[in-house]
Amino acid sequence: MALSGMRGLSVFISDVRNCQNKELERARVDKELANIRTKFKNDKGLTPYEKKKYVWKMLYIFMLGYDVDFGHMEAVSLISAPKYAEKQVGYIVTSSLLNENHDFLRLVINTVRNDIIGRNETFQCLALTMVGNIGGKEFSESLAPDVQKLLISNSCRPLVRKKAALCLLRLYRKNPDVVSVDGWADRMSQLLDEREIGVLTAVMSLLVALVANNPDAYWNCVSKCVRVLERLTRSQDIPQEYTYYGIPSPWLQVKTMRVLQYFPAIDDPNIRRSLFEVLQRVLMGTDAVKNINKNNATHAVLFEALALVMHLDAEKDMMAQCVGLLGKFIAVREPNIRYLGLENMTRMLMVSDVQESIKRHQVQIITSLRDPDIRFRIIFIDLLVQCISLCSIRRRSLDLLYGMCDVTNAKDIVEELLQYLTTADFAIREELALKAAILAEKFAPDLSWYVDVILQLIEKAGDFVSDDIWYRVVQFVTNNDDLQPYAAAKARDFLDKPAVHETMVKVAGYLLGEYSHLLSRRPGCSPKEVFSIIHDKFATVSTPTKAILLSAYIKILLHSQTVDPELQNHVLAVFRKNETYLDAEVQQRASEYYALSRKGPSMVDVMAEMPKFPERQSALLKKAEDTEVDVADTSATKLRLMQLTSTAVVVADQKPANGVHPALTRVPSGQRNIEAPTVPVANGGQSPAPVDFLAIEAAPTHSAPESSPLVGPGDSLALALMDNQASTVQPTGSVTEWFDALCRKDSGILYEDPFIQIGLKAEWRGNQGRIVLFLGNKHTAPLLSVKAVILPPRHMQLLTSNVPDTIPPRAQVQCPVEVTNLSPSREIPVLDFSYNNSSAMVSFKLRLPVIMSKFLQGATLAPADYIARWKALMGPPNKLLQEVVRGVKPLPLQEMSDLLGSLHVAIAPGYDPNVNNIVGAATYFSENPTLCLIRIETDPADRTQIRLTVGTPDTSVALELKEYIKERLVDIPSGAAPTSLPGMPSPADDLVGPAASLAGLI
Amino acid sequence: MIDAVLVMNTQGKPRLAKFYKSLSPVKQQEIVRKVYSGLSSRAEHFCNFVEADEIFGARTKLVYKHFATLYFVFVIDSGESELGILDLIQVFVETLDSIFKNVCELDIVFNFNKVNTVLDEIVMGGQVVETNSTEIVKSVQEIFK
Repeated sequence: MALSGMRGLSVFISDVRNCQNKELERARVDKELANIRTKFKNDKGLTPYEKKKYVWKMLYIFMLGYDVDFGHMEAVSLISAPKYAEKQVGYIVTSSLLNENHDFLRLVINTVRNDIIGRNETFQCLALTMVGNIGGKEFSESLAPDVQKLLISNSCRPLVRKKAALCLLRLYRKNPDVVSVDGWADRMSQLLDEREIGVLTAVMSLLVALVANNPDAYWNCVSKCVRVLERLTRSQDIPQEYTYYGIPSPWLQVKTMRVLQYFPAIDDPNIRRSLFEVLQRVLMGTDAVKNINKNNATHAVLFEALALVMHLDAEKDMMAQCVGLLGKFIAVREPNIRYLGLENMTRMLMVSDVQESIKRHQVQIITSLRDPDIRFRIIFIDLLVQCISLCSIRRRSLDLLYGMCDVTNAKDIVEELLQYLTTADFAIREELALKAAILAEKFAPDLSWYVDVILQLIEKAGDFVSDDIWYRVVQFVTNNDDLQPYAAAKARDFLDKPAVHETMVKVAGYLLGEYSHLLSRRPGCSPKEVFSIIHDKFATVSTPTKAILLSAYIKILLHSQTVDPELQNHVLAVFRKNETYLDAEVQQRASEYYALSRKGPSMVDVMAEMPKFPERQSALLKKAEDTEVDVADTSATKLRLMQLTSTAVVVADQKPANGVHPALTRVPSGQRNIEAPTVPVANGGQSPAPVDFLAIEAAPTHSAPESSPLVGPGDSLALALMDNQASTVQPTGSVTEWFDALCRKDSGILYEDPFIQIGLKAEWRGNQGRIVLFLGNKHTAPLLSVKAVILPPRHMQLLTSNVPDTIPPRAQVQCPVEVTNLSPSREIPVLDFSYNNSSAMVSFKLRLPVIMSKFLQGATLAPADYIARWKALMGPPNKLLQEVVRGVKPLPLQEMSDLLGSLHVAIAPGYDPNVNNIVGAATYFSENPTLCLIRIETDPADRTQIRLTVGTPDTSVALELKEYIKERLVDIPSGAAPTSLPGMPSPADDLVGPAASLAGLI
Repeated sequence: MIDAVLVMNTQGKPRLAKFYKSLSPVKQQEIVRKVYSGLSSRAEHFCNFVEADEIFGARTKLVYKHFATLYFVFVIDSGESELGILDLIQVFVETLDSIFKNVCELDIVFNFNKVNTVLDEIVMGGQVVETNSTEIVKSVQEIFK
């Protein structure tokens, strides 16, 4: 490590570095600033060296984020110093510390000019750099001619000329008049003949700015630019230093193609032809290579070429070729290329001819929705929403979007759909609104968000929001006490808006009638104010809405704590007036409410809040199904419906006989108003063996709820959505412990409370599994409204058979579930279970033990084979994922090895020469089996840290598996997030050159 | 155009901060903080571009590379090529590497003045001025002769 060469500066920097905390650092910095201030004030005779030292210190302090409000003069005055070292520091610090409007800068214009026109090249460069960075209008006026002279001079070195070009660009930005159009078009054209690549790059940047302002004036530069591109793409006369990983200056290529995009259209057939030849060469000649830097550079050029092709409105063939390339990019794993591919695909959609060819890539686009990087998902959603707006492919895009929605992306998707609603085609609005509402309900991260979404939906597309949608909001709000004040306040806000849709008046009227008394303390929400804001709409709304509003009025009146005589008079007058209303419903309500309200507060009970609704299936889903009848069966809506509902298999009190299922009875499922599609239960002739752990008769011991241990907050039970219905029924043991036990074995108890016992038995083969849930009623009364819905993670296909609505006393019901694992993921399915024990509704969510290790199978390899495979994975390309994991539960080596074995990894003792390392192999089954190699390097001195390496040909498997193993090791069996140290070296073999040395050093 | 170049360590300490737009010191520090919180939450295998509309204004992006304990971040507008800037970061680091012979964070801390100069030879007024590492090393040596 080299020190700065200034002892005082180095000491100061290390002092600051050694400060334990921010306060100490601030104290040290303040001390230094005070010191510098005194030095500058008192000692007129500071040596140049001292001045330099202090000014650097100031810059360092400034960079750390402290205000440096003095010493600017000293920094600026150094510029005029005769000594090189001082001048240098003056220039550098001035351009960092001061901004263009600083008064002091004016003082040095002359000095700067002298340096620019002087003969000392280093001074010229320093001056040009400073002006190029912070030069303002005044510099522009006094320096432009001199800078121009340097740029076109033949005698100047390239070093000076390229800086002059960029300095001129800055001056031009500050004052466009400094470059006269007439003279400069020709000069620019001549400058483009330049052979020196550095100068050419700077000139090209200048040209971009000039052309952007006035493309017409610089037409003569087009052919020159094409020639530059020809020279670069053919690698003619390109010095070695200007190739980057073998590519002739990618920056100049990109810049030149960028310039060409500022010209509106290139019509000259000759130029066009040569340009297309160049572009064709770029498009054809680019293949992905292994070196990441080279790959970057070639793709930088390629993406720019794509943009230029789009800009030039090329022939259909070439466009299709571009779409093909983009299709390839969005399918690659390299995230940068994929990101830019998606972004450009979105731009490509603007070109009408290619929509059809883009359609072919939709499935690839879809996979990006699962990307862990949120930015990807947003771009992707944006892309799909744009697809929806294009008539030809919109239905499919909307379906895809709807079908791909899950908890991780629902918020983005729904918000994007809402945005799009206002501009969408009328034909598709109703469907959009309905789908947005369903997704919002299914995946709402919290209920207030759901209320927001629906109210916005009504606001933006009221005409297309059916009654079912707002009924559903009312149900949710009524059943959730916490939500009521929020919803009422929101509804009130919406009524304030200028044009309020009638549906909004309905829902707001209803909500405020029920719950506005919860807001009465808030400003603008007194009963009187709420009444008047609702009543403003009364005259203009339809009869059914009037009826709703009348009910709201009486509720507002009777719920208010103190009777406001003025309000009472108003409301009574309204009732009075409507006693003669034409419509019978309105008339009746008005008369009855008039009579009731005159009886005063004693009638409060009559007008109490509405009771909770019984839990019911969303009517929206039914509606969605209806609207889908004309669409093919595989439509996303249908699939989604199949996931959300289920079919019933009852095996009441019977044991399967002769390996064949008893008659399957489909039971109509309670209040559900959907006739659920039947999913045939796979019956491979092998039914589950009779289960012994469900001996209901024998073990009714856990019947006292008060003896049950409380469930910790980390437990999955705490998820119940309808919290008002969260029961007092507690499980008789720890749900987490049951779950953990089932992770290790394949049969056992999943859940048990005084009423029900849920057992589970599973069999696994390859990427398939069969789980049977045994639902046993331990009680003497039947369990009613039994519902079991499994929310499958995206990577799994689950075929669930239905559960009967009722489980008879002391009976057991089996519910088989077929699992197919499609892609690697650590997510696991969740069983959403509820039943009614005739006194209360009990609902809970349970994780199902369908964990990664269930799809793992130990693989034994010969040592030579193992090492060969390991080497193959080392690459290139490197397919080993490596991480230093800290905070590992300290285990003896043998136990760690056993732990790995319990995850179905076959340990290969002795394969690794280092006895502190554990290596093993396993096959992971998803759609295709993948062989995974695993190595754990332990540190005998520190058992809490290990290095974990996972290698598979498919890196997505490696990533998930690594995380999975990490989770097991860090906190067994589950819990705290694993901590990895960001500062630890990244895998060094992944990096080249300086990266590797950086990694090695720190 | 390149709007800013930042180098910070994985704890969020700025090691180099150069802005090519005129911004108040308070705003500059706010940006450094926001950039850090934006980057520190990103996993290693994520892409190297981040939309920075909320940090630096409409249509700006962060292009960054993570080397050991340091983030090298360029804030760019839509006029620059993302991959091109990624290459430029590589050039910057390779140049630092040849100047400091196996550069590490401490070199950058104690020689921040030299690092500033290296950057000035690569980017000027928000435009790329030189991409040839040999040439950059030569001019920096000339300045520090």
